[in-house]
Amino acid sequence: MKKHIHEIRDPVHVFIRLDTDEREVLDSRPFQRLRYIHQLAMTYLVYPGATHRRFEHSLGVMELADRVYNVVTNPHNIEHESVRNILPAYESIEHKYWRRVLKIAALCHDIGHLPFSHAAEEELLPEGWDHERITAEIIRSDEMQEIWKKMTVTPKADDIIKIAIGPKKAKEQTFTDWETILSEIIVGDTFGVDRMDYLLRDSLHSGVAYGKFDQYRLIDTLRILPKSEDENASTEPTLGLAIGGIQSAEALLWARYFMYSQVYFHPIRRIYDIHLQDFLQNWLKDGKFSTNIENHLAITDNEVIVEIRKAALDTKHPAHVPAKHIIEHKHFKVLYRRNPIDQDINSDAVKFVYNAACKKYGDKLVRFDEYTQKGESQNFPVLDHGKILQSIGLSVTLKKVPVVAAGFVFVERDRLDNAKKWLEKEHDQIIEPEGEKD
Amino acid sequence: MEKFKRYAIILSLIESLMKNNSWCGETHIQKTTYFLQEMLRVPLGFEFILYKHGPFSFGLSDELMAMRANMMVELKSHLPYGPSIVPGPTSGQLKRLFPNTIKKYCKEVEFVAKEMGSYNVADLERVATALYVILKTENREKTSDMASYINKIKPHISVEKAHIALEQEATINHKAKELIQSP
Repeated sequence: MKKHIHEIRDPVHVFIRLDTDEREVLDSRPFQRLRYIHQLAMTYLVYPGATHRRFEHSLGVMELADRVYNVVTNPHNIEHESVRNILPAYESIEHKYWRRVLKIAALCHDIGHLPFSHAAEEELLPEGWDHERITAEIIRSDEMQEIWKKMTVTPKADDIIKIAIGPKKAKEQTFTDWETILSEIIVGDTFGVDRMDYLLRDSLHSGVAYGKFDQYRLIDTLRILPKSEDENASTEPTLGLAIGGIQSAEALLWARYFMYSQVYFHPIRRIYDIHLQDFLQNWLKDGKFSTNIENHLAITDNEVIVEIRKAALDTKHPAHVPAKHIIEHKHFKVLYRRNPIDQDINSDAVKFVYNAACKKYGDKLVRFDEYTQKGESQNFPVLDHGKILQSIGLSVTLKKVPVVAAGFVFVERDRLDNAKKWLEKEHDQIIEPEGEKD
Repeated sequence: MEKFKRYAIILSLIESLMKNNSWCGETHIQKTTYFLQEMLRVPLGFEFILYKHGPFSFGLSDELMAMRANMMVELKSHLPYGPSIVPGPTSGQLKRLFPNTIKKYCKEVEFVAKEMGSYNVADLERVATALYVILKTENREKTSDMASYINKIKPHISVEKAHIALEQEATINHKAKELIQSP
């Protein structure tokens, strides 16, 4: 007898199960390409175990999305009439339809990623493009439409796109409350399963313990709740939690903080990303990736790595210098990093040091990187014995989770000693803030 | 507008809201900023979409996080609602560096804070959604059609309450026009 449910072994979730229709997505060219896109770019140069790919992450996101859907739409877990009104009836055709859309959206949410999941999309894609737009184009493509059409429950491409990329990126679309909840399940700032999976998976593969939290307890306690029951506040529905999961939610948000500060914003990881960007801008035609779908599907980390190795040996290659930095592990070194003492004097201190260093050493020998966490995530409704309370009032630790912020100035390694002496001498003058002139 | 000048205006709005007894959570800042930009024409450059409690800007949300990271604002939690956003230890830096920007838009900021400072989240959600629908339909639809549309996109807002929100919006809009035209 033909198998309808297929199991795939996974180091995070043990087994991931998918049906024959979903298997068709797995076997498609855009999804198979994810086998060759590293989840954490060149982080493996710092944490050698971090060689995992978007392929298994996407499977993990689908597995978690399905589990969340089962929990939050279970009639036993819905206490509020206003929430019941926006949900399709349990196990109805509509309920099955949206499960299908959610799982496919979870599978496909990363298919538009550039090689090495590169974050510098503004620099590496034509204006108006980002990986979410490429994701949407692929979901709408004839190749994928053929797959959607053959499914027993046929999802609409536009519904998949909405749920896969969410309101932040699907700006032209209007989301119903139900669609907003579904997209929150995947890309939500607090309980999005994209984040849950990448924290667990990145932590496992990079060999750090920070990213772990009790995913089972957390998911079992997720609920769709009105933001508040108070008539002075909004009663709009959102993803919240039953009180029993509050410690798991605390662990999730701290895990995020630690993973960002220890792994994602490790300065050496960041400078390799910058060298890679320099390489790509010098190598690609007009310094940009093509947005043509066939061209997108044809380029993965493998093609880029082959070219980097070639370029490192060829002094005439336009991207020879950044390729050498990567291949010979001769990355630029940290000259300056964001710190609270300087921030207190000048919130833009990192940029000021960067500009001064460029003036002193020339912009070819200096690089800059700055990031601040996006999206608020600590405040959500919590159901406590029939009443809805706010997490930040209930939890002592949630309000203390710091905002992740990192900033670095890097300098070419042979200039480091000289640059350090220069900065030590000129530091106070360099970071002196400027008032407005007009 | 430059990022730090925008921060200075947001900080000035937070201080004015607090003076007008606003709870001053993120929703209060989101919706009053929407009025500041769309009705009072302060060129902040945020893109608003219909999302959490009505018009919402992910860009503004990210900038509030950046302001928290820079200690320009901080969270203050007190029950029963979500946290308030209050000036932080480095807020003085912004005021010292951008006095002209703050002064330039002070009239508009004070107007919005005075008109909407006493609004709770439910009021703000309704009136901001009303403005969003009016702008989207270019005010060409009948009031009853706009009220029905508000109820359609935000089912927890009744048609009756949507009508009241449209009237409130019209009152604020009338006063805002007078303010803009005044020397």
